[in-house]
Amino acid sequence: MSEPSGRTAGVGRQVGIAVVLVVLLSPFLWLLQMSFKSNDLILQFPPPLIFRPTLENYTSLWHSAFSASFVNSLLSASFSTALALLLGIPAAYALSRWTERGRHTLSFAILVTRMAPPIAFTIPFFLFYRWIGLLDTVTGLVLIYTSFNLPLVIWMMQPFFESVPPSLEEAALVDGASARTIFLKIVLPMVAPGIAATAILCFLYAWNDFFFALILTRTNARTAPVAVVNFMNYEGWEWGKIAAGGSLVMAPVLIFSLAVRRYLVSGLTAGAIKG
Amino acid sequence: MTEEGSIEAGRRRFNRWALAPSLIVLLVIAVVPALYLLTISLTPFQLVNPGSATDFSAPLRNYRLLPGDPRFVNSLWVQAKLSFWGVLFQVLLGMSLALLLHTRSRFVEFARTFFLIPMVLPPIVVAVIWKLIYTPDISPLYYAAGLLHWTMPSLTSSVDFALIAIIVADTWEWLPFTFLMVLAALQTIPEEYSEAALVDGANRLQIFFYVTLPFIAPVLVISAMFRLIDSVKAFPLIFLLTGGGPGSITEVTNYYAYLLAFDSGEIGYSSAVTVVMLLLVLAVSFGVMWIGRRREALT
Repeated sequence: MSEPSGRTAGVGRQVGIAVVLVVLLSPFLWLLQMSFKSNDLILQFPPPLIFRPTLENYTSLWHSAFSASFVNSLLSASFSTALALLLGIPAAYALSRWTERGRHTLSFAILVTRMAPPIAFTIPFFLFYRWIGLLDTVTGLVLIYTSFNLPLVIWMMQPFFESVPPSLEEAALVDGASARTIFLKIVLPMVAPGIAATAILCFLYAWNDFFFALILTRTNARTAPVAVVNFMNYEGWEWGKIAAGGSLVMAPVLIFSLAVRRYLVSGLTAGAIKG
Repeated sequence: MTEEGSIEAGRRRFNRWALAPSLIVLLVIAVVPALYLLTISLTPFQLVNPGSATDFSAPLRNYRLLPGDPRFVNSLWVQAKLSFWGVLFQVLLGMSLALLLHTRSRFVEFARTFFLIPMVLPPIVVAVIWKLIYTPDISPLYYAAGLLHWTMPSLTSSVDFALIAIIVADTWEWLPFTFLMVLAALQTIPEEYSEAALVDGANRLQIFFYVTLPFIAPVLVISAMFRLIDSVKAFPLIFLLTGGGPGSITEVTNYYAYLLAFDSGEIGYSSAVTVVMLLLVLAVSFGVMWIGRRREALT
């Protein structure tokens, strides 16, 4: 009996799994098919199984203010990811070579920023931004996104640094390399896959944000998630466009997150259990 | 000796330079705002009345008002209902799904990834998806009810169904999380355990209750607590589907604090509500960390 845990799936079980999958994903698929339909077709019941898909919703969306908000989302998520990586990677490295106690204190701090309801940060940031004029700017969004992305980077990167064998660094030390050189030339290249996974998670968290952008932006820096909701409120009930907007917002997320699904759990449970 | 000492000193200097920027930034963007929130909660600050931001004449007034505020008390109760049912269903369904998919086959391993989709979608897209499902004119759900000659009430504006509608959407969004956690735990159970039980003549149900369940129990507790903490953040669903209504049937504390601050401009009072909520979340977080530690120590 060399077979690892779990029995081999029978045909019945596989069919069962396929049915559950379709049922579970049906709300998601409903949104997707709607985005390729004209409004007349959307209101037609029973829904036609075969219809001629149209890209009309997507093109009209792209020629509206939505494209600007898409760019805002892209900018704020990218810059906050870059900032968090720049600050967090060296910190994670230093911590991974540090004592246990310091790390536990920090992991608690990280847990707090991860667990706090967003409104706890929003009120002070809103007042502060109103005062210094950062409301409705991409810079303002980058700063607040960094408040949750930086702890995430520090948390996520530590195990990657721990997996680098200390003997490598010791050998370089003997050869007279400085701590900085060792970090930049030896350790960093070895954790490149970890950096990629962390960067994607940071990007996704910032991209997915709705609450901060809802309160801290108006028109100039409005992000794509807020723009989708705005359709519902101001452009009547253009279901096709709403569905297309939703599909566009989720497209980058689906592609990226499936690429890093191995790390999804450790990102989500940051602070409490070892990833 | 001296050379080693200088290497050690260089290393320490490097560590300080590597840590300092992060610590300073965290201080400025996390600690300072938290202290500011606490300070504001001691004032009667209203957006229309800027002078009230520095009025500390009755620092605990907001906190004294809280127990007598029916909307606040109700919001805690709504949150408790939402969290309890949401977490319960997520754990039960997530576990069932994990048991179903804990099997070896190319197809199943391929399919697992697709089960994660609801969890990785942007929360606002999840809200849009359920908005489409709950809107009678365009919903397959209402069409199906019509075929059965049943006039379904408008779910999101019904006193009886609004909270259930939110719980269903929240469960859909997050059951992949418990699924993923439980599946990971199932894969660490040594095969010999259930084989030994089989040899002893145990049936499947007995194996589940006496072998599998004790093994995955800690993971069930951990994922339930994570979901409990995050259930406080179910903002986009409530914002888009019900707006806290009808009345205040689906108004959770987080949403009430949002309305207070950014609809009524009652910043001071809203901050007090937020501080209380933060303390409750922290208490649960401590619990999670404590259990996590203990589990780490055991394994």
